[in-house]
Amino acid sequence: MASDIGKVRLRIPSSIKSDDVVKVRILVIHPMERIERDKQGKIIERNYNYIDKVLVTYLGKTVASFDTTQNVSENPFFAFAFRATDPGQLKVTFTDTTAGKYEGTTDIKFS
Amino acid sequence: MMLARSTLVRWSCALTLVAGCATAATDTPDYSSVPAWTSRAIPEAQGAMRTTADGKREAVRYKGWTTRDFGAFRTYAYADTRPEPPVQRAVMPNGVTGDAKKGRALFLARAKGPCTGCHLIPGDDVWPAGSVGPDLSTIADRKLSDAYVYQQIYDARVVFPNTSMPPWGVTGAFTPEEIVHLVAFLQTLKGPLPPEKDPDRNPVTRTKPVGFGDNLDPTNNPAVLMAEAAEAVWAAKGPTGKACADCHEGGPANAMKGVAARFPKFVPAYRRVMSIEDFLAVHAPERTGTQMPAQSTTNLAMSILVKMASNGMPVGIDTSSQEARAALARGKATFYRRVGERNHACADCHTPETGANKFLGGRLLGDAKAGLTRHFPVWRTDRTEVWDIRKRMQWCMIPLGANMLAADAIEYAELELYLTAFDVGKPMSVPGIRH
Amino acid sequence: MVTRRTVLGTLSTLGVVAATGVLPARGAASAQALGQQETIEAAMKRLFGGRPMKDGGSLIKLDMPLIAENGAVVPLSIEVSSPMTAANHVKHIYVVADKNRIPVVTRVALTPAAGQAYMGANIRLGETGDVRAIVEQSDGTLLQVKREVKVTVGGCGG
Repeated sequence: MASDIGKVRLRIPSSIKSDDVVKVRILVIHPMERIERDKQGKIIERNYNYIDKVLVTYLGKTVASFDTTQNVSENPFFAFAFRATDPGQLKVTFTDTTAGKYEGTTDIKFS
Repeated sequence: MMLARSTLVRWSCALTLVAGCATAATDTPDYSSVPAWTSRAIPEAQGAMRTTADGKREAVRYKGWTTRDFGAFRTYAYADTRPEPPVQRAVMPNGVTGDAKKGRALFLARAKGPCTGCHLIPGDDVWPAGSVGPDLSTIADRKLSDAYVYQQIYDARVVFPNTSMPPWGVTGAFTPEEIVHLVAFLQTLKGPLPPEKDPDRNPVTRTKPVGFGDNLDPTNNPAVLMAEAAEAVWAAKGPTGKACADCHEGGPANAMKGVAARFPKFVPAYRRVMSIEDFLAVHAPERTGTQMPAQSTTNLAMSILVKMASNGMPVGIDTSSQEARAALARGKATFYRRVGERNHACADCHTPETGANKFLGGRLLGDAKAGLTRHFPVWRTDRTEVWDIRKRMQWCMIPLGANMLAADAIEYAELELYLTAFDVGKPMSVPGIRH
Repeated sequence: MVTRRTVLGTLSTLGVVAATGVLPARGAASAQALGQQETIEAAMKRLFGGRPMKDGGSLIKLDMPLIAENGAVVPLSIEVSSPMTAANHVKHIYVVADKNRIPVVTRVALTPAAGQAYMGANIRLGETGDVRAIVEQSDGTLLQVKREVKVTVGGCGG
């Protein structure tokens, strides 16, 4: 369903303790348009819609960022780590070449 | 006249026995009770044919699928009573000199077989060969006559009556001249072979596929998110002013718990076996007015949503009715029915006795007898699409060279019923994720 | 004086850039896109100049299937042994696929707040070929590991 573009799902471990290094899994629905070529093999020039930036912030500060290309699969999956120093928000922002912006957030709590 | 109760019981038992004997004696499924069915699938899923502007017949299929008409070859349709291609003794044509180089190119040609789909031959460029058929790397050491090898390719059934090898010459998939070149090539394959540099090249020693991880993890399987979109459809009022939620209270996870585990089943109201997808295509418009044709995104998403409510529960199919048992018998016959230009049945690839767990080219063949249905619909990573089992069956028709039936065809439903029998007792896990 | 020929010459250069298919959408002000259609040699030169590259085998764990079932979705994860302190951490992880027409796949920038030099992604591979993980340490050291990944296809011609 085209309306699904930008849907984000983020997974963190069910139990996080202070100062744990936490691995995070994240998926975003996005076409990641591939380059099309004509019958002669020449690239068809147009603005391809793909995610080119993934920004991970935690407690408002940048933890990691991915510069991405059309070599990342459709409905891209990413994984990264962060050190859970304090309770607070973890945010992942995806930006695509059509200036589309998609976000996934979760509140980190210690248990 | 009043019959004693015991007499009545004895009579009814006798009648059942007679009926049972009759079925066993003839051993052919009964096709007379199968109703006609008008497809409720999207246009590209109906197995329709059309005539082009220049008068050629072509198939209406999914985007990207070939439109080639395979009408010359047998299909799964119950009404298609054409026999398999006749077994033919072949004679090598005169005046053709076999060219081994041409033969090797033909052996590797994907548009033809490729023969490497089933047979390994030497070469660093042979990637990926399969192991469904025997390794032909040193076949010339066996000193078989050209005529024998020619017959094997033209119609192997003359030599091996139960072979899975397609009758390439009979159907015209290869011309007699091409087969001569193939023979010439095969007769060059002598031992000893150089040591294998890469164990993955040989299908017997190749690393098995590892799959795509946790199918129920929404950060792994996009199809899980698709089901979430279906929740809105569940709650939305259709043209009749009703929503699924109005009759099925408590949300889909509660209302549909255990339902999908009992499908496919014989639905008396429609006099046919139906999967969840088949049923949605008639039930949704009937009750809510919302169209949900087979193979539409809504139908597939709704099917996943309904089936997820049964995840973890064991599959069970109801064979208590005569209709269900008759359908099962027809489904089994379909599983063993040879169709298409390749003259293949499901059984030729998907049982342990034939191809299951062997490589067909680069793909490991699934074992139907181990139970394959309980994870459908699946997310296809290669296609970035959700496929239910009907689309999977329809796709099989393409390399087999047979025209596909409608996605909601009764023939496919009854085949699905037969396949589901092997999943009985095993837990559902939908949506799956596969290449 | 700008002659007409010079102006046209400049335009045709722009035309060549556009033909790589990576014309930035948000105006010429943004940096040249990370992915360019180029040979692997050109990509390595563009990203790293002639800087020495050490073998990262003892520090970098590149996890990929030996055989990818299809080229559309190839799972990959990279883990680098690193204390991830301000003084000593992994600054960048690059993923490069030698045989892709656009070899650069992604560049991950990390900070010590990451706690671990770890990344995962599903990538596209055009064909069988080497996939490289290149790590840039905070002191500028470059390390590399590479693995051949075979991309497989079905056997039925379909």
